[in-house]
Amino acid sequence: MTATTTSVTDSAAVHTDAVWKIFEQEPADVAAVQGITITIEPSEFVAMAGPSGSGKTTLLNLIGGLTRPSRGHIWVAGRDLANMSNRALARMRLERIGFVFQAYNLLPVLTALENAEFPLLLLGVEEDERRHRVDELFDRTGLSGLEDRRPGKLSGGQQQRVAVIRAVASQPALVLADEPTANLDSQTSDGLLDMMEELNRELGTTFLFATHDPRVMERARRLIRLVDGAVASDERRRPEPQR
Amino acid sequence: MLRPVLMARLALRNLRRQARRSALTAAAMVVGGALLMFSVSLGDGTHEDWIESGVRMGSGHIAIQAPRYQASRKIEDRLSSAARDAALGALDAAGVRQRVVQTVPRLAVGGLASSPNGARPAQVVGVDPTKEADFSILDDKVVEGRYLQPSDRLAAYIGAELARGLQLELGSRLVLTAQDAEGDIAGQLVRVVGIYRTGIPEVDQAIVHIPLRTAGSWLQTNDEVTTIALLLDRSRAVPGVLRALRHALSDEITASNTTVLGWREAMPELDAAVKVDDLGNYLFQGIMFGIIALAIVNTVLMSVLHRHREFGLLQALGFTPKQTGGLVVIESVVLTTLSGLTGIALGTFLTWLFFRNGLDISFTWNEDWSFSGVVLDPIIVPLFRSARIVQGLVFILIVGTLASLYPAYRATRIDVAEAMKFER
Repeated sequence: MTATTTSVTDSAAVHTDAVWKIFEQEPADVAAVQGITITIEPSEFVAMAGPSGSGKTTLLNLIGGLTRPSRGHIWVAGRDLANMSNRALARMRLERIGFVFQAYNLLPVLTALENAEFPLLLLGVEEDERRHRVDELFDRTGLSGLEDRRPGKLSGGQQQRVAVIRAVASQPALVLADEPTANLDSQTSDGLLDMMEELNRELGTTFLFATHDPRVMERARRLIRLVDGAVASDERRRPEPQR
Repeated sequence: MLRPVLMARLALRNLRRQARRSALTAAAMVVGGALLMFSVSLGDGTHEDWIESGVRMGSGHIAIQAPRYQASRKIEDRLSSAARDAALGALDAAGVRQRVVQTVPRLAVGGLASSPNGARPAQVVGVDPTKEADFSILDDKVVEGRYLQPSDRLAAYIGAELARGLQLELGSRLVLTAQDAEGDIAGQLVRVVGIYRTGIPEVDQAIVHIPLRTAGSWLQTNDEVTTIALLLDRSRAVPGVLRALRHALSDEITASNTTVLGWREAMPELDAAVKVDDLGNYLFQGIMFGIIALAIVNTVLMSVLHRHREFGLLQALGFTPKQTGGLVVIESVVLTTLSGLTGIALGTFLTWLFFRNGLDISFTWNEDWSFSGVVLDPIIVPLFRSARIVQGLVFILIVGTLASLYPAYRATRIDVAEAMKFER
């Protein structure tokens, strides 16, 4: 590894170096990600777009440490995921990465508030601090008053906002969002994206989306298009906001 | 480290959420716990009854004898007067006196009982009539006449089979012949004052009770005896009293003047019978809980497979695979503990409710049942012991934990990316 590469891996929010993911299956193996090298700087608001099967979700899972690459290396916040044990990967996800999923994926047995503060509970943050952080996010996202509701008693948009609060409550370096607006109507999607942009601007959290949604692509300040597991284009659309 | 409170909260809420599945698993454990307590209480009650009968018919919960007497059964292996005094003195030792209900001296010798109609081998036991009546159940088994009384001298209390064999009746004369303390053959004429029937052939054919004074003078042993038998308030006190007595009599034991035997050593056949019966009960319980464990494995495994996405999510949020498996184990242990406790309480209550006066199974047999000198009582009274509740709970906990290990292992092996795939 050269000095320049080292500098990139240390400073970038995410850096992938010739990453491959090959799924072994009959009759032929499938290369979902084919030697992708990208760098995402801290505070970027990036969308990865592409048709189904282009490798967006697989790349997101690789960056989130949910699956391991077949070849290549991935650095998140300066740490090489390839050398980490499952336990260290879990710790990394807890401390550095927030996830937002298409299907919301809130824990059904917990209330909205408990779901939102779940990572903070795992991190052992004291109750006062937890409540302070989460209450503020509930206020900002218009969810105040719904803290004690179970996910089943919330609308899709409300559930997704709780999922976003859960993703950012621990102030991770990176939030990975896989089709976060796919199940939402346009008004709710816009509201959610407003909220994510605001959090990106104010907290400096890096957002990386995998999406089909033109609204997300439109708002992204950088758009990476994937085709057949490879980067087809990487376009910086607007300057990063001044903070 | 993950907060245990969070794990417990998640486990409890998941159990509540999966109410039907939890109820199915709990039902298996409730039934198992109830059956466990039911069978253990009846088993313990049966064994206590066997032991009670055995020690009263035999040499008590604890027997103090000369070291070689247990094997030889000969009069020369009797306790000396000094050893007898030391033994009686030891009964005042701490941990002994409060447990001893009755103490009886016995002088037993193997000999011959003869009448004009024949002769039979007999085990002649010289007893203190008053104390023996409190101690033994032989006096309760009288079918003709009466048991010995303190004023009796040349009286004998004999079994019905011996009476039949020698054609003896109440008032008949009987000659007892045995080797005395000097090694000479000596005879003693006695008269039948009572006839008993225990249902144990070897007892009814051979055991003859005569007054201790008569036996001492006939066998020239004066106040020396072969056994000092102790009856305790409960059989579970035997190990403690044995330790205390052996400590108090350590000088006599070291000098080979005395030995102190518990009923398990003095009556090895009864000990073996209790152990074999226990083994049978444990096997039954093992098989029953094996089946219950399989049911738990099945329901918990189904739960893990059904909650694939949830476990994937937990790992995506920062749970390690080990913590995910730990959650499955905690859920299973919480469920089995709660249901096991319920089952144990239910089993204890049902046993008390239905069988507090004993379970009468006399309809299953037509005549007396006996073995190893023990008369079986057809009424089984369950015995409740708090230790059994703790043991039952620990056993259930172990079963619950073991049953959750494979499902927990499966939870640790979840492919998180696969589990989080969006299903349209």
